[in-house]
Amino acid sequence: MQQRTLVIRNHLGMHARAAARLVKLANGFRSDIRLARSDARLRTVNAKSIFAVLLLAATQGTTIDIIVEGPDEAKAIESLCQLIEENFGED
Amino acid sequence: MRTPARKLPEERLEGIGVCQGVAIGTVFLVDDPRGRIVRVFLPSEQLDAEIARFREAVRIAQRQVQEATDRLRAALGGERVYILETHLLMLKDYSIGQQVENFIRENQANAEWAVRDVTNHLLDVYAQITDDYLRERGSDIVDVSHRLIKILSGTKTRDLNELAVGAIIIADDLLPSVAADLDPRRVLGFVTNVGGWASHTSIIARSLNIPAVVGVRDITSRVRSGETIIIDGTTGAVIINPSPETYRFYSEQRERQQQQQLHDIEERELPAVTRDGYEVKLRANIELMDEIDVFQRFNAAGIGLYRSEFLYSQSATGLPTEDEQYEAYKFLAEMSGKEGAVIRTFDLGGDKLHLEGFKPERNPALGLRAIRLSLSIQHIFRTQIRAILRAAEHSDEGVRLKILLPFVSNLDEIREAKQIIADAERELRAERMPHAEDVEIGVMVEVPAAVIMAEPLAREADFFSLGTNDLTQSVLAVDRGNENVNALFDPLHPAVLRAIKFVSDAAQRMRIPINVCGEMASNPAQVIILLGLGLRDLSMTPSAIPAIRRLVRSIDLNTAQNLAAHAIALTTPAEVHRYVQAHLSDLGAQFMASAHFTHFVS
Repeated sequence: MQQRTLVIRNHLGMHARAAARLVKLANGFRSDIRLARSDARLRTVNAKSIFAVLLLAATQGTTIDIIVEGPDEAKAIESLCQLIEENFGED
Repeated sequence: MRTPARKLPEERLEGIGVCQGVAIGTVFLVDDPRGRIVRVFLPSEQLDAEIARFREAVRIAQRQVQEATDRLRAALGGERVYILETHLLMLKDYSIGQQVENFIRENQANAEWAVRDVTNHLLDVYAQITDDYLRERGSDIVDVSHRLIKILSGTKTRDLNELAVGAIIIADDLLPSVAADLDPRRVLGFVTNVGGWASHTSIIARSLNIPAVVGVRDITSRVRSGETIIIDGTTGAVIINPSPETYRFYSEQRERQQQQQLHDIEERELPAVTRDGYEVKLRANIELMDEIDVFQRFNAAGIGLYRSEFLYSQSATGLPTEDEQYEAYKFLAEMSGKEGAVIRTFDLGGDKLHLEGFKPERNPALGLRAIRLSLSIQHIFRTQIRAILRAAEHSDEGVRLKILLPFVSNLDEIREAKQIIADAERELRAERMPHAEDVEIGVMVEVPAAVIMAEPLAREADFFSLGTNDLTQSVLAVDRGNENVNALFDPLHPAVLRAIKFVSDAAQRMRIPINVCGEMASNPAQVIILLGLGLRDLSMTPSAIPAIRRLVRSIDLNTAQNLAAHAIALTTPAEVHRYVQAHLSDLGAQFMASAHFTHFVS
């Protein structure tokens, strides 16, 4: 299992376009990928579901945990962190 | 266009015009299919077939969305494609599909009912999100479920193919998918129950340049498909089943507008120069960033007024951060061309900011607002100034941004603001943050104190901007929003004209630039007076630029000066109106014959 903590920095937060990018990327991996707000660590959501990711309501400044488990977990967490660190390619 | 059958009485409604122009067409009602769903109890042996029917509907929906995405990408260059991509992901979402299938099985329900129930449940959860922007995404869920229900219930997707040429779309609100499916060549206008200037429908309408009226309550229950309807996106009027007289009136108006638009395109590159050779700057007033392309379409000489307080209404998180503002201002600097953009610092009252402990004021128009608020809660102002200074540095062709301070009534206010700006420069220097240091600082002249003190103010300010709306209100002591007195609001009142001349003369004596950014600058008759009073720099709502360009090109400055000199010597508003009306015909006969003119003079 791999886990990382990141801050959402783009100014609209994880809104529809950003969430869509993340979900698309997550669906490309076989591992189980879950997200949680760091202020509610126990409530993880499936990163492959657009509804679930939108429901995180991760606005700018929200700290989130990414938890990945599965055969391609190293590559998956790397790609997802990169997307978030690059502000979903937005700002 | 065929003449309407006159059976039903004409009905007039009113809403908010959000994209200009008259449209006459046939009602095309896009209604909400969810209201018509019935619960069917299925025998257990039919449940597999029902689930298969649901899966097939999802497949069809995915194909429709994919096709719409491709079409949109080809047509518009992908600006709104991401909304549809979200919809596609929603349709592919395994867990939701599973929930619908479970619901069908457990409740022996029909697929339509199951989709409705799961959707409503999701919407309840979304409604609890506190962030406005993210919560709004609930409309995407509604949209996707509409699509599924339409497919399931066999309601033909009436958008696209069925849409006859000449349709005016009537809907509760314009959903993104409907907008994406629309063929702009067949749609003449939009009317919606809900919405405001910044709503989805409005933005789409302006980007397609199609007349639209929003916020017409109950419009969807008042019209039926096929009825004749007239909408006026300039005044917000909506007329159902127009009488032959009304019909004729609006067809003529529309005809003139179409002619006008052709002329506008031909004339957009023509210089705004009077017949005797004086150049007049025609700039654009901007509120929302999506208006930027509109302003380029009219070939404006930069942005004469950016109302930065609109960043508040657009910001997802309340107070816009320094970085958020920096992005916005950088965008303005890049888009406004070599003439640049004037950013008016926040013109807000304490009520808008939801400041803790801020007590409601009895008279907020004369209260703690604009520069007064900026100076009393300095961290908000400082954040804005830092963002502007950073963005101003961005251009390699020199500084393109200017700062404009609103509602100044006291010289100390501009001195204090300059001090804060100098402090911000020092901070940025210390942080080694790239920024500009020679940003010009202007003063908005809109209260009598600033008029009377124009000359000393001009020593402190780099430029003046005449806000004629507030100036007229404050000089005449008339609240334009109060219907008991709004008839007294009159920019042609001699007191207002004299105030303008006083300020204009002071600016010229002190050799600082002066521009006009109120509504006077978009009213042809009043522009003649402004030119005559010595003003050559006008900033207006972008769509007014073509008419003002034509006006400027049709007159001699000398004539305007004579007219203004006479008008200002008169003593009552009625005399000024009579005089101006009587003498307009002497000026540019070609212009006077044009479409909107009579409308503007009255």
